[in-house]
Amino acid sequence: MKQVSLAVLLILAISFITPIGSFGAEYTREVDVVPPDADIGNGYVTPPVQHPQPKAAWWSAVDALLLALAMGLSAWIVLGRRSRNWLVVLTVGCLLYFGFYREGCVCPIGAIQNVTVALTDASYTVPFVVLVFFFLPLIAALLIGRVFCGGVCPLGAIQDLVLLKPVQVPRRLDKALGTLKYAYLILAVWYAVAPAVDREFIICRFDPFVGFFRFAGPGNMMLVGGGLLALGLFVGRPYCRYLCPYGAILAILARFSWKGVTITPDKELDCGLCVESCPLGAIEQMRAVPSSCLYCARCFASCPREPINLPSTVPQPDRGGV
Amino acid sequence: MNEEPTRRDVLKYAARGVGALAVGGPLIYLANRAGAEGVWLIDPAKCINIRLGATGVPFCDKCATTCVLPLSAVRAVNEFAKCGRCCICPGYFDVTSEIGRDGLPTRRLCPRDAIRRNPIGDVDPDDPLNNFYDYTIDEKLCNGCGKCVMACKEPAGLGSLRLEVRYDLCVDCNRCAIAMACPEDAIAMTSKEKMALTVTRANEAPHGTDDPHIDVTGGTE
Repeated sequence: MKQVSLAVLLILAISFITPIGSFGAEYTREVDVVPPDADIGNGYVTPPVQHPQPKAAWWSAVDALLLALAMGLSAWIVLGRRSRNWLVVLTVGCLLYFGFYREGCVCPIGAIQNVTVALTDASYTVPFVVLVFFFLPLIAALLIGRVFCGGVCPLGAIQDLVLLKPVQVPRRLDKALGTLKYAYLILAVWYAVAPAVDREFIICRFDPFVGFFRFAGPGNMMLVGGGLLALGLFVGRPYCRYLCPYGAILAILARFSWKGVTITPDKELDCGLCVESCPLGAIEQMRAVPSSCLYCARCFASCPREPINLPSTVPQPDRGGV
Repeated sequence: MNEEPTRRDVLKYAARGVGALAVGGPLIYLANRAGAEGVWLIDPAKCINIRLGATGVPFCDKCATTCVLPLSAVRAVNEFAKCGRCCICPGYFDVTSEIGRDGLPTRRLCPRDAIRRNPIGDVDPDDPLNNFYDYTIDEKLCNGCGKCVMACKEPAGLGSLRLEVRYDLCVDCNRCAIAMACPEDAIAMTSKEKMALTVTRANEAPHGTDDPHIDVTGGTE
């Protein structure tokens, strides 16, 4: 305590020695005590310390509302309008907002681990916006299938838009690779239920596309993401089909969904063009498989019986109860 | 042929019910607890830039350099109730720089010039060195490098400056890059109740090395 003003005194000593030093003012005030407001005088009152404002709640509310809106639009475009072009517009919009503007965060894929931690660790909670992002697509999957994957998810969107020349993956290979995502889900849950010191948020850490959204990221993950995008030029949405742990949960729930994509408007026409057009191998026996259909709407674009592809002079077929 | 779809339908309804429970149950449980989520928080007692009396520790600017945001969410805060209102604030001036004609060091310490210095109270124009000065940090400029915090330590200053996460700016990464880089594990995900305690303690802790809350060896309670 006695040395408190040492440094200041030292500076003053230097200033007296220096030829161009001060004009003789002496520094007499002690600095080892906080001056009371009365000593400062002139009615001075110690101002309050600046404290951070709580995070703006409306921003989270905007995100949640936009998610609900985008999912509603995705369902309406795919189940009602049956239009690929409209879905591309939605895909670009969601990629720009949830991907590049919000930088891929919050996302339900990474939220798997946060929700798991919150379920198993009483001292950890997740905010409302994370709950909305995690549970809304799950509820939608139970009701109408994987609408979140079609056009809304930014990770799916970036892969969907680079898919230029789709090739069919051999069915057995497709099924075998499809089990990887369940293994990833189990691994993610395993790291989330670990004690706090060993906890590792692997999904966010090894997210292959978030680096593109932020224009910065670990080099090796950018390479993996670039590799997946290069593969995605030919193989439809490889991350979604083979790796996405949230896709694993959605696939299980969507298997029992109440409604889903119906491809042929009238059941007589089984030309099979849709099977070839599906880049995801999600059409079996002319019917969409709800657990693997990602609501990309490509089948509608190639269907000769879709109203949108018919000349207006031809009578419009019944849409098959959607 | 008629019973087969019926049984499948029943199984499907059952699976739907199980799915609804599996989704709804956790949702209701977590929604009841939501809103009390934690934030990343710097424990001032652990931060090496602020540790009173611990001389010889190296200056650390991890808060400014490792945050994922372009401008870190960490800011320096001047705890006015602990500030000596010095004329030559070692956090404001680079006290190693040459002394000018006005008796003040010629260079400022802050690399981003984020500290404002204003005379307060009864200003004596004939004795500028003995006036009181108020030091306010411009949060738009500060990047939380901690240089001023380091300089305000004893013996030069009273230790009124500290680093704080502005949690309106913090994006709540699951894996805080600063926490990973922090040499003293001073930044941790902290629940809101605990946060209130820590902030209060930092504000109210009396100054001095005999303060039981501040342990120069690094540990807190």
